Amino acid sequence: MGRRFSLTYPTAAVLLAVRNGHRYGFDVMDATGLPDGTVYPILRRLERRGVLEGRWEDEAAAKAERRPQRRYYRLTPLGEASLVEVIERFPALPRLFEPPRETA
Amino acid sequence: MSNGTHRFPGSRIIAWAARVVPPARRAAWRAEWEAEAAYAWTVAQRRGGGRLRALRLRIRVSTCTIDALWVRREAMETRGWLKDLRIALRGLARNGTFTLVTVLTLALGIGANTAVFTIVDGVLLSPLPFERPERLVSIEHLGRDGQDELPVSPGLYLLYRERASSLEEIAMFTGTAVNVVTEAEPERVQAQMVTPGFFDVLRVGPALGRGFTEAEGLPDGEQVVILSDGLWRTSFGADPGVLDRTLDVNGTNRRIVGVMPPEFGHPDREARLWLPYVVDPSQAPLASFQGGGIARMADGSDPEGVLAEFQGLIHRLPEIFPEAPGVGFLGRVGLRAQVRPLKEAVVGDVSSTLWILLGSVGVVLLIACANVANLLLVRAEARGRELALRMALGAGWPHVLRAFMSESLILAAAGGALGTLIAAGAVRAVFGLLPTDLPRMTEIGVDVRVLGFTAALSLGCAVFFGLFPLQRARARDLAGRIRDASGHGAGTSVERHRLRSGLVVAQVALALVLLVGAGLMLRTFQALRALDPGFDAGGVLTAELSVPPGEMEGWQETAGFFRTLGDRLRVQPRIEAAGFAMAAPLSGGLPFFNLSLEDHPRAQDELPILAWQNFVEVGYFEAMGIGLLEGRTFQPGDGAEGVRAAVVSRGFAERWWPGQNALGRRISLGGPEWSVIVGVVEDARYASLEEPAPEMVYWTATSGPAGSPQPTRTMDVVIRTSADPLEIVPVLRREVEAVNPRIPISNPRSMEDVVETAGARTSFTMTLLGSASGIALLLGLVGIYGVVSYIVTQRTREIGVRMALGATAPSVRGMVVKQGLAMAAVGAVLGLVAAGALGSLMESVLFGVQPTDPLTYASVALALVAVCVLATWIPAARAARVDPSTALRSE
Repeated sequence: MGRRFSLTYPTAAVLLAVRNGHRYGFDVMDATGLPDGTVYPILRRLERRGVLEGRWEDEAAAKAERRPQRRYYRLTPLGEASLVEVIERFPALPRLFEPPRETA
Repeated sequence: MSNGTHRFPGSRIIAWAARVVPPARRAAWRAEWEAEAAYAWTVAQRRGGGRLRALRLRIRVSTCTIDALWVRREAMETRGWLKDLRIALRGLARNGTFTLVTVLTLALGIGANTAVFTIVDGVLLSPLPFERPERLVSIEHLGRDGQDELPVSPGLYLLYRERASSLEEIAMFTGTAVNVVTEAEPERVQAQMVTPGFFDVLRVGPALGRGFTEAEGLPDGEQVVILSDGLWRTSFGADPGVLDRTLDVNGTNRRIVGVMPPEFGHPDREARLWLPYVVDPSQAPLASFQGGGIARMADGSDPEGVLAEFQGLIHRLPEIFPEAPGVGFLGRVGLRAQVRPLKEAVVGDVSSTLWILLGSVGVVLLIACANVANLLLVRAEARGRELALRMALGAGWPHVLRAFMSESLILAAAGGALGTLIAAGAVRAVFGLLPTDLPRMTEIGVDVRVLGFTAALSLGCAVFFGLFPLQRARARDLAGRIRDASGHGAGTSVERHRLRSGLVVAQVALALVLLVGAGLMLRTFQALRALDPGFDAGGVLTAELSVPPGEMEGWQETAGFFRTLGDRLRVQPRIEAAGFAMAAPLSGGLPFFNLSLEDHPRAQDELPILAWQNFVEVGYFEAMGIGLLEGRTFQPGDGAEGVRAAVVSRGFAERWWPGQNALGRRISLGGPEWSVIVGVVEDARYASLEEPAPEMVYWTATSGPAGSPQPTRTMDVVIRTSADPLEIVPVLRREVEAVNPRIPISNPRSMEDVVETAGARTSFTMTLLGSASGIALLLGLVGIYGVVSYIVTQRTREIGVRMALGATAPSVRGMVVKQGLAMAAVGAVLGLVAAGALGSLMESVLFGVQPTDPLTYASVALALVAVCVLATWIPAARAARVDPSTALRSE
């Protein structure tokens, strides 16, 4: 299938991080080691291309912890399909991303 | 959002960075970042908080600034650069008339500027075409505190050459005219005599052969000659074997030792051959200033250093040459050297004229740009809404800039390209009109520097009138802008008018400055025309005759030749008078010697009496129309064989014998024999029309400087005729040939042409300034018409209301005219002030009129205001014709 985004190393890392459950912006940064300032543009771009889907978390949960709603990202079916190519390109990468210890 | 959202480390950073994000995305972006940061702080506090963790969070959060810039960039990338250009092109193509008018206006303005800049660049800015031209200097001398401007004397040349260590090489040169015989036809050509180091100074060598050797610059050196490329081609068919052939120059056969390359033309473009300047080291005079001096400075010297060294040598002259004649004289006149960069000397005083011209066309371009800016403003109002929407959607400043500048850049680029073509054509056309004494004319041409100037100018124009519409589009009042752009909001309307009216006022002011300049030049031209040059130029022919040394020997023969020729000419039909002079007025250099007056003896340390000298034959004053005031002019019998007579000018007589009779006084050129003053004639302008007539002493050509063995061999013949002077040329040729066929005539011209050439620079400047101000006026009128017309359109409803309420047509007309008058009046006042301030810049080209001449200023201002009011007449008439019912209906 045609690629809808340029498959750079940071992009691949972000995708894998999201796949492995690091859904929030800061979590992705922690997992990949990329600075926030460059992670968010990648997230937005992938969202524009339809590879990721962005959502605000449940309001009730945030209110309970007296903090604002966070935004999280997850793979779309299209994104899942792109992952095949990602793993092909960067075979060692998946092993770097473990699911986060704290669940959101 | 829950409370506590703004209480975490870094919240201020996010708030500050949010300002960079386009408004449409700001809220969501901020929310996302704040949520993440707040959550991270919550987690950190659970682990203990503390200042270190707070700092770490802050550092983390600070990367949001990068992200904010990314968001901004993403918002801008909704359209590409090329897309903007395409849209701009389409927009311009839709409004064909506007585009055409604008591009043409710009092309004319940019073209005119490029054309003048081409001239300025060639003459003033580009370096001389020699190797390391900044090391070349020109050497002159000054006497009597600058009263006398003198070139170089052979003695001083040798002295400097021998002893000046700040110079690498020095040379002396002088121009002369010689007779050459090629194909047995005598021809009179311009030549340059140069000392052996001349070509070394310039570091230009002959293309064929060699320069002169030291031996050839000495009195008994071999007679050699170097040809110009032109002479080589026309007289020798570009024969590569021309070296060692001979050429008859002034009756002497000279061996050809070199041919100069085609572009070489220093100091005289017209020189067709070069001869060695022979200087006798054993008797090189110190005080006879004969030739120009140029030198190449040694590495590490500068003009001030060279000057200091020369001054030192001059001071030591009595010590170096204790017995040389002239040393005392030099001391008495307080001789000083003058060392200038060579380019300065070559360019002369033409720079002020050229800069004035460049300034004028620059002003015209400004006015043209103001017109275009006004037109673009109107279009910008239509695009205001589109602009506001774009900005709301997140387009940043750079994006808006790009969208608007695309249009102005395309217009400016088209105008610049077309303007360059116009300029190239104009320069070629104007070449013929340029004053022939414009230095470095051959170096005028469109080159890389000129193209760079054009490009910069076009860019400047684009920025100037591209920014005007943008200035209105500030993002401060976005909502209000969207609201306003669809209707006719009163607030922005006033701003609009002010900006456009301001542009028109500026145009009128600039046009007035130019018109004042043109008016002053016109007055100068008239003043020059009106002044009495001291001679009557109508119906007078003048030409140069030169007797080569080999042709005639001694006084009797040479004097006899001129006498015979004069007698023959005087009996010709249609010739009223004929005479000869060493130099006719406005025709070239006259010598400037010191002389003695019997009843005004000079003490040893007093300044000598100096005056211009002219050597003339019988009949000169009558032919030239120089009036006789007292006594008589020369007649047959004066001269070496008979009465030693002299004639003086009125100025000379009044200086030395004020209120007394000058006749009968005795005068001499330094020898033991005295001459008697037999007549006083009217002053005549010899050097230029602007300079006052010099004090002159006239001698008979056949007596010459007393004791001098050389008769005057080169004379201007002056013929007064009842016919058209140029018709007499064949008669002159015929008579000269009858007396001696080997003497050529050169440069025949009528005195009226000579006078006109002398005023050529003034008339050229006047024509150019006149054209520039004419164009400026036209553009200004178009500007006023445009704005007033627009105002009328905008206020149609208001006018309709007024008329419905009883206003008469004349009162409506008056209202409109008053608007135009107000703009014109303010512009005129500003223009007068500006003209007054800039007036001093023109001083050097004016004659007979002050830069702040009230008459010129007043008449120009009144005329301008009147014309502007006329321009508003059409819109005013249109306003008066408004039908109230239709006007009120259109909403």
